[in-house]
Order: sequence, then C-alpha cells, then structure tokens
Amino acid sequence: MSGPILETKNLIKAFGGLVAVDNVDIAIETGRITAIIGPNGAGKTSLFNLIAGVYRPTSGDIIFNGNSLRYAPWYAKAVPPQMKQHKLFKNRLHHHAPAHKRTALGIARTFQHVNLFGNMTVLENIMTGQHPRSKYGFFAAALRLPKARHEEEMINLNAMKYLNMVGLGKHADQKSLSLPLGQQKLLAIARALATEPKLILLDEPGAGLNALEKRELSELIRRIRDMGITVVLVEHDMPLVMGIAEWIIVLDSGMKIAEGTAAQVQKDKKVIAAYLGEETDDAED
Amino acid sequence: MILAWAKKKWSWLAVAALIIFLALVPFKWFLGQYTSIMIFVGISTMITVGLCMLMGYTGQVSLGQAAFYGLGAYFSAVLSKTHGLNPWLAMVIAAIATGTFAYIIGYPIFRLRGNYLAMATLGIGLIMWTLFNQMVQFTGGPDGMSGIPYLSIGGFSFDTSFKRYFLVWFFCLAILFLSQNIVRSRTGRALRAIHGNEAAAESLGINVTQFKVKIFVLSAVYASLAGSLFAHHLRHVSPQSFDFLASVKLVVMAVIGGLASIWGAIFGAGTTRFLSDEVLLGFNKFPQLDIIIYGLILMLVMILMPEGLFVAIKSGTMWLKINWRDLPAIMKRMKKDFPEQVKYFLSRLPLARLWRKTEP
Amino acid sequence: MSADQFVQYLMSGLTQGSIYALIGLGFTIIYSVTQIINFAQGEFVMLGGMLSYVLAVEAGLPVPLALIIAILIAAGVGALMYILAIRTARRASVISLIIITIGAAIFIRGIAGNQFGVNAVSPTPFTGRGSISFLGAYIEPQALWIIGITFLVTILLYLFLSHTMVGKALRACAVNPEAASLVGINTKAMALIAFIIAAAIGGIGGVVIAPMAMASYGMGVMLGLKGFVAAAVGGFMSPIATVIGGIMLGIIESLAVGFNWGPFTSAYKDVIALVVLLLILLIRSGKLAAAERAA
Repeated sequence: MSGPILETKNLIKAFGGLVAVDNVDIAIETGRITAIIGPNGAGKTSLFNLIAGVYRPTSGDIIFNGNSLRYAPWYAKAVPPQMKQHKLFKNRLHHHAPAHKRTALGIARTFQHVNLFGNMTVLENIMTGQHPRSKYGFFAAALRLPKARHEEEMINLNAMKYLNMVGLGKHADQKSLSLPLGQQKLLAIARALATEPKLILLDEPGAGLNALEKRELSELIRRIRDMGITVVLVEHDMPLVMGIAEWIIVLDSGMKIAEGTAAQVQKDKKVIAAYLGEETDDAED
Repeated sequence: MILAWAKKKWSWLAVAALIIFLALVPFKWFLGQYTSIMIFVGISTMITVGLCMLMGYTGQVSLGQAAFYGLGAYFSAVLSKTHGLNPWLAMVIAAIATGTFAYIIGYPIFRLRGNYLAMATLGIGLIMWTLFNQMVQFTGGPDGMSGIPYLSIGGFSFDTSFKRYFLVWFFCLAILFLSQNIVRSRTGRALRAIHGNEAAAESLGINVTQFKVKIFVLSAVYASLAGSLFAHHLRHVSPQSFDFLASVKLVVMAVIGGLASIWGAIFGAGTTRFLSDEVLLGFNKFPQLDIIIYGLILMLVMILMPEGLFVAIKSGTMWLKINWRDLPAIMKRMKKDFPEQVKYFLSRLPLARLWRKTEP
Repeated sequence: MSADQFVQYLMSGLTQGSIYALIGLGFTIIYSVTQIINFAQGEFVMLGGMLSYVLAVEAGLPVPLALIIAILIAAGVGALMYILAIRTARRASVISLIIITIGAAIFIRGIAGNQFGVNAVSPTPFTGRGSISFLGAYIEPQALWIIGITFLVTILLYLFLSHTMVGKALRACAVNPEAASLVGINTKAMALIAFIIAAAIGGIGGVVIAPMAMASYGMGVMLGLKGFVAAAVGGFMSPIATVIGGIMLGIIESLAVGFNWGPFTSAYKDVIALVVLLLILLIRSGKLAAAERAA
C-alpha cells in the first residue's frame, strides 16, 4: 500500500496546564519497524495512548490507513455549518474512535505493565485476542449452534498458532500469571498479535528482560515485521532500539525533535543534548 | 480405570446426579413435602444466576433485582388475567419489556466509572415497589391481584404443584445450561476478560460498557421469567414479595452461591431458602433474626471468602481459604492497633491539648 | 398557590433538605477518603434518632446528655464497623466492600429492630412544639434547630478540613492515598477518622430530625438513598456541592408535592429522589463522555 499507515497531524494532548504532547506530526511507514525514543516525560506513552484510543486528543487528528479516526456523531448534521466553529460546538462535533473500535480496525497494543488476564489460562488469554476477528454472539453461544462451535475451533487453532510463534506452546493450559515475567511479556505480545493487526504498538517490551530475552525479543519483532505487520515501539534500551529500528523518532518534552535512521539520530546534536547525562556513550560508539 | 474417568468427568456426573435428584423430589415416597419449597428454590435460582453473573463480571451489585422479578410477575398477571392474553405470550412480552427497561437504565450507569449501580438499583427497587402499591387500577394495590390463570400447553394445564415443579425446574435448568454455554464461549471470555483487566479487554476490541449492559439486561430477563413463573404458580401477586428485603435475600443467595458462579446459584438459593424457612422461623421469638443473619452472612462471606461460599467449598479448600492463618495475625494487629488508633484519635482532639499541658 | 404557601413549602423543603445534606456529607467524607460507598450511612441517622428517644424518654436521662450519648454511640458504631468489617477485609475488591457495608447496614438495622421494636417513636423536640412565624410561613422551632445545626456542622466541617492538620491529612488521602502514605500519613487511621466523623454527622442528623419526623428502625434505607443523591450531585468529592444538592432535593420534593405536579402525591414523593438521581447520573455520564472526548 502507498503512503504511511499511520499519521498524526498537529496532535496536542493537554492535561489542564500540562501539555504532554505538543503539536506532534509523525508518519509511520508501512511495514517498517519504527521506534519512538526520548528522555523520561517526553510524552512517548501519552502518544501511544493517543494512537491506541485510550486518551482523546485535545486537538489534532490521527489518520490510520488513510482514514481519520475522528467521526461526526449523529447530531452533528443538525448543526448548521456556520455554527460549527462556535465555542459551544467546536469540541463536541468530533468523536474519536474508542479503543475497542481501533483494535477492530487493525491497531493493537501491549502495555508497560503486561496486564494479562490473571483469571484465565495462557491459551485463553490469546483466544480472547481473537475476539475482534470472530463474530458469534450471545444466542449462538447460548444454544451452541454449529456456527459457534466452528468459530470456536478456528479461534482455538489460531490461538495455538500465535502461542507457538512466541514459543510458549507447551504452557497453553497453565494459569497465565504462573509464567515468569519474560514469558508473560511474550504472551502479551502473542495476545496482541491474535487480534490480527496491521499495526502493533509495543510499549517498553524490553523492560525487565535479561540480555538473552532481549535478543529473542528482537528476533520476534523482526518476525512480526516479516509477517507484514508494522511495528512501533517505545523503548528505553538503546542497544535494543539501535539494533532493530529501521526508523527512529525522538521526542522531548512533548515535541518531536528529530527523526531518521539509527545512524542519523545518534549523531543528531539535539538528540545528544536531550539525553545529556544519559546514554551518550552509545552515540560515541 | 473407571475412577480415573470419573475424576475427569466429575462435573458431568455431579450435574447428572443433581438432575436425577431433582427429578425424584416431588414424589411422595422421596421428598414430596418439599415440592412447594423447591419450586420457589427453582424460581429463585433463575434470578440468582443472573445476579451472580452480573456481580461477577461487572463487579457491581444490584440491590433491586426484585424490581425486575416483580415486573415480570405483574406483567404476566395483568396481561393474562386482565387482558386475557395467552400466558406464554404474556411471559415473552414481560421479558422483552423488562429487558428494555434494564437497557435504558443500564447504559448511563455503566458508562460512568463509579459504583453507581448499587444505589441506582436500590432506588429502582423502591420505586417499583411504590408503584406496585400505588397503581391500584393496574396492580390491585397492596392487596395485589388474584385469579391469574395457569400456564398450559394445548389441553394440558399446569394445575398441580407436581406439574409446576417440573415446569419451573425445566426453565431453571435450561437457563443454567444456557448460561454455562455463554460463559464458555467467546462472549464468556470477553466477560471474564473484563473481570480480569478492563483496560486490556478494551485493547482487544471488547466494548466493555456494552458487555456490562448486556449482562445487566440478561439478568433482568432471567428475573422477569422467574417472576412470570411465580405469578402462574401462586396465581396471586402482591407487592410484599418484591420489596427491599426480597432484593437483599437475592444478594445473599448470590453471595453464598459465588459471584460469577453458575451452578453455585442452586446452592445459594437452596441454602438461603431453607435458612429462612426452616431455621429462622423456628426462632420466632427473636424478632428480626432473619435480617441480622443475612447481614452477618454478607459481611462474613465477603471478608473471608470473597469469591463466594460455594466456590470456596467447591475448590475443596474452603477451610484453607478461610485464611485461618491470617486470623491470629489479624487479631494481634487489632489488639495492637486498636488502642493505638484510639489514642491517636483522642490525641488529636482539641481537649487533648489540655491533657498534654498538665504533663511535664 | 399563594406566596405564603410557597414559602411554607420552601421552608419545609429546606428543613428536609438539610437532613439530606448531612447524610450526603457522611457519604462524601467516607468516599473521598477511602473510595468506599458506605451503605450503612442511613443507619447512623437511624441510630441517632432511636437512641435519642430511648435514652431521653425511656431511660429518663436529661435531654442534652441523651443527645450527646446518642451521637457518641453512633460514632462508636461507625468506628466498630470500620475496624471489624472494613479493615479486616484486606485486599478486598470494591464490590466486596460494598457488599460488606450493605451487610453491616442490614445487620445494624436488624439489631435495632430487635432491641427497639418496629414501631415509630417520637422524641420530644428540643424547644417544644409551636409555630414560629417566618416570612408568612409557620414553622416549628425544631425546623430552625435542624437548619441551624446543619449550617453549623457544615461550617465546622469546612474549618476542620481546611485548617487542622488532621483535616488536611484527610484531604490528602482523598486526593492521592498512595502519596499521602508516602509522606507519613497513616491512611488507616484517616479512614477510621472518616468513618467516625461520618457516623457522628449521621447521628447528629438523626438526633435533630427524629423529634419532627419520628424515628423507626427502618428509616435508614430511604434517608440513605436521598443522602446518596445529595452526595452524587457533588460527585462524592465536594462537600459544598453535596450540601447544595441535599437542600435542592428537599426543596424539589416539597414543591412537587405542594404543586401537585402530575402523579406526585405524597406517596410518590420518594420517587422524586430516584428520578433526580437518574437524571444526575444521565447528565454526569453525558458530561463525562464529553469530557472523555476532550480529555
């Protein structure tokens, strides 16, 4: 497909007086692995939350696959065009697609704090991920119609597929929280993959992993990219980022200060200044 | 070998045993004298299942389930007696009307991120009870309505307790099986996901608010069906059956049965019914004992076994789960903390300034 | 309706609304400090009212002493409820805590019904019965006591929360419990204090309303619901909005009955509270949804 899979235009997010995301314009190219980095408080997770639909923008637009994630509510038609800019109406005439709709559209995400379903087994967690790609509802379920049973089988098969992709196949029937943290993170990624996304947002996937696990994570991310899914990650671990990212966007204090390939970003003076005191030795390698 | 097979399929065996037991109850040579009570247990179970699912999957309490129960009963009564409608049709209409009502109240409440359902349903229960009492021209007022026809299929009329027992339990078991199917399905996974972690559920494409409202509506429909069966059983409905105490009893049943538990609902309804009928009536001289016991049950079960009494027993570890090991620690802490906290509190009172001034 | 009648209804609404305001304050205090909705709030009012009768009329204690003891007992029950039922349920989920408070409410009501019987009782008004003429309306002296004491309690509470160390600590817990404990505030003690204050305020409400409106063991349910509505107006966080909400609810109820709007005979009076509640929830959910869109 042509054009970036995701764009933000003049995206602003303010919490009262604090501007977390300040007029950010980014474009994520399809099929690439993009990393968003920046010092703490730069607004990276806020940006993720905006894209995923957890936060509503104060202003600005997010465009996914060429379509804006804003839409007009049914009562917008009743407002005459001249009045639309009026203070009363201005912020009430666009609704932003809620998080669950974005997942159906093809945006998946993982969380910094894993957020597994502790009351379910490993496999059930992933099967839940298949929710937006399956259809049968209350009645079919209650009566165990053949349609429902057939879809359940498909869900089961697909879930096992994703489980095996991250190498957790033999843990399918364990309680999800019985896994060690590294495997829990893999489970979370598999669960997000089960929603069959076009774009996946990974929020600090490397946090809490040891060196070996980080290498496996990099491998997994590359395999996800090879499946045709665009990957965007927020990460603090510089070697990890520099190792897999094909494009890097740098934020500081809510603004985009640089972007480019790993090599370009490492030499960028603004980036070095933002990180002064942190990780500058990476820039010298 | 058979033992191993039995262990694996024990839940099927348990259910089969339960059904056989239930089928034999109304016979005189078995437990026939309990037929009437068991009919009520069946009716209560229908409401309790819905309540268990509601509390288990939305994490909120309904203190007005008796309102939906009453709506079902009164709709059935009015439509079939006053307007001569076919009782089965009346039952369906009642269920649809009650469900729609629940939908209308449910949406604004579940959209809010607070625990408003309890009070809202408390209020609705009280309103419904007031309406049942006041709208005399429709409902017969505090004396209620009589002369409600029996349910019948073709020429076969459910005119004896024996026949109605099977009718009620047929419905009850059907609802239990349907509910179980729902819980084991994609819908059930979505509900359990919401119970497990709402933010993650939302990120997987699950519309959390919509599911919560759906479960609320489902619980209302179950209650309505139960109410209709109740009306065609007693052939008389009056507001006393649908007051606040009725809603409280339903919550007690659900708590004993276990939040998010399906088969536990029978246990909850049964024990509560027998408790109120057999045990407490015996203590007639001690007024309000029933409310006191209900209050104690609610507190104790929620403190010690928050997942519900039945669920705790079922996992076979009830005695372990009662955190007996915690008890001495809790008592020690209470003994230590209580005087300290009281001292702290007293020391902060303005009067205490006087005390301290007199100390060296 | 003449102007005089209007003022009459207004005054009775103000009186009734003051009670709702007091109960609502109890809800608000406990919720803001502990995030718990205390269903037993109405029962503290009931205890205040019933005990003031039992102690003053049946036990023959001098009235001021009876009132104080009634309030202290109500506060004590609140403290016991917290220590025995709430604090022991460590790590409890929200729904567990709500059910626990419901259980406590029913338990308290049951004990009261057991000990005091089911009949309504009427303690003697503080300064006797009679009619005081006020702006063309006649009100009982007790009504003035109610309004006055509510006013006093609200001001004292405000001063307490804003000018004493403990009050500020309570507010800190309301805003951010974790941060509060990190700066050395004993959040459990704060919760205890919140419960005691809420129970005491409830007891005060019961003590002042009982001489005018009678007291019975079951009065807590309806009063609790109406106090909840008052607190809901303030979102359970703002005491001032709670007081305003309570008074408005009282006035709306009174006027609706007075104007005989539609089906609002006195039997339906209580329905108004629920309609108001649902309206508030609807408006809030609409506003919340709009805020989420902007947020």
